[in-house]
Amino acid sequence: MQPLLDAFSLGGTYALAALGLGLVFGVLKLVNFAHAELITISAYIMVITNDLPLVISFILAAFTATVLAIITELAVYRRLRGTGPAIMLIASFGLSVGLQKSYELIFGALPRSAAVAPWMTGSVEIAGLNVTISSLVTVALTVLILLAMGYLVDFTTLGLQLRAASSDFKTARLLGVRSNRLITSSFAISGLLAAFVGFIIVVENPQVEPMFGLNITILALVGIVIGGISSLRGCALGGFIVGFILSILNTFLGNARVYAYSYLFLAVVIILLVRPGGILSKQNEMERV
Amino acid sequence: MNQGGFSASEISKSFGALQVLKGVSLTIKPGETLGLLGPNGAGKTTFINIIAGYEQQDNGTITVNGLSMDGMRPDERARAGIARTFQSGRLFTQLTVAENVALGALGLGVKPHEAQARAEQTMDILGLQSLATTTAATLSHGNARLVGLARAVAAQPKYLIMDEPAAGLNESEVPKLLNALSVIKNKIGCGMFLVEHNVGLVARACDRVIVLATGVLIFDGAPSDALSNSEVKNAYLGDASFGETI
Repeated sequence: MQPLLDAFSLGGTYALAALGLGLVFGVLKLVNFAHAELITISAYIMVITNDLPLVISFILAAFTATVLAIITELAVYRRLRGTGPAIMLIASFGLSVGLQKSYELIFGALPRSAAVAPWMTGSVEIAGLNVTISSLVTVALTVLILLAMGYLVDFTTLGLQLRAASSDFKTARLLGVRSNRLITSSFAISGLLAAFVGFIIVVENPQVEPMFGLNITILALVGIVIGGISSLRGCALGGFIVGFILSILNTFLGNARVYAYSYLFLAVVIILLVRPGGILSKQNEMERV
Repeated sequence: MNQGGFSASEISKSFGALQVLKGVSLTIKPGETLGLLGPNGAGKTTFINIIAGYEQQDNGTITVNGLSMDGMRPDERARAGIARTFQSGRLFTQLTVAENVALGALGLGVKPHEAQARAEQTMDILGLQSLATTTAATLSHGNARLVGLARAVAAQPKYLIMDEPAAGLNESEVPKLLNALSVIKNKIGCGMFLVEHNVGLVARACDRVIVLATGVLIFDGAPSDALSNSEVKNAYLGDASFGETI
């Protein structure tokens, strides 16, 4: 049961990361590599404010990641809008590296560490089986967040505008949808999702360094491509699949787990050969950055 | 300057050395349906792109009820009362018909419940209620055109610009479109500007017709007069078969 729970837990975490990336991609057609640094800053804040009650610590982390996401949009991406996808992509790389170096200056190159929510590292017995609390909390948390995101996307005006913009941003704008407000909202939600991801990871791995969020972000990118980059559901599903497969591989490969990524990417290639536009896409050719 | 209604005055536009529009002027009264005919290359698309704000004219001015549209972006013009449909439909394919139509109003800042009510009303009068929960990607070409029209109507525009709404429709779908235009005219009452190749549709749907040829307005009058005008015949088709296309 524990391996399965771990797989759902990691899948859920990757789904949240992929959803954050997919939200921004949907409206801007931008792969925001700096999403990794949003995850990292939230983890740093959780570690630094470890003495505070967990809820307060998380609120501070979420606030910081959200504000940073909005600042990156207002200070960098908005100014470069219209310059073309290549420029935006390079800017996103630059922003990512710049933030990593800033973290290095502020927090140091060595990992900062503290036990965040140590009660989550214990285990409980369910139906005679021992399962870790962190896995249970992560699964519950991701289910709740995904349900909330599902509600936001499917039943609110903001969600409808996000889906419209993801489908055809130019037409949405021509119809009067306030594009700047929509894009800023996407970055804000993306920052909030990054904070949840940062929290989930830092509980398991409290060694926070400047490149803390990079690995999950790259794998989440793989997830949104295989899930269907033009669909938010596809992004979440793709992220989940990547996390789930990776966890299962790590569990069952034993000493051969060093090849886990090889098998994962083999699976990704097979999926893309069968569904070039991603699992949930309705078209095979899409604009990509 | 026309204070009540839509007015385009002395609109000129060049692309490099090619002058596409040469001082074109027109007015549309509130509730009037004006048709625009012209052969390929006449400047029709450029003209409606300028009206909707997708391109800026070199000279001339556009007003709606006395308010200048010059320099306004397309979304600002949409808020000022100019809605348009697109030749390619441009529906949000992953959204339902009801969501597509509601977005016509939501985009303009209308409150969600009001936008939903407008969407339901518009789908009702255009006979689209049965398709409300259908995903736009699965619509037939004809229904997709009607949904695009409904989305523009849900914005409750003062003036509705339609870019070849009959393009690609089969013979059985054209009467449905004609009926929809009649319903919009009678129940919504907005002014309409119909850019169309289907001469028969323009003759039936429009109160008045203008004809462009090589960027110059060569006719402005009743549809029946256009069909018998020799200059229009020559410019449009270059032969006497013009009237037979109806």
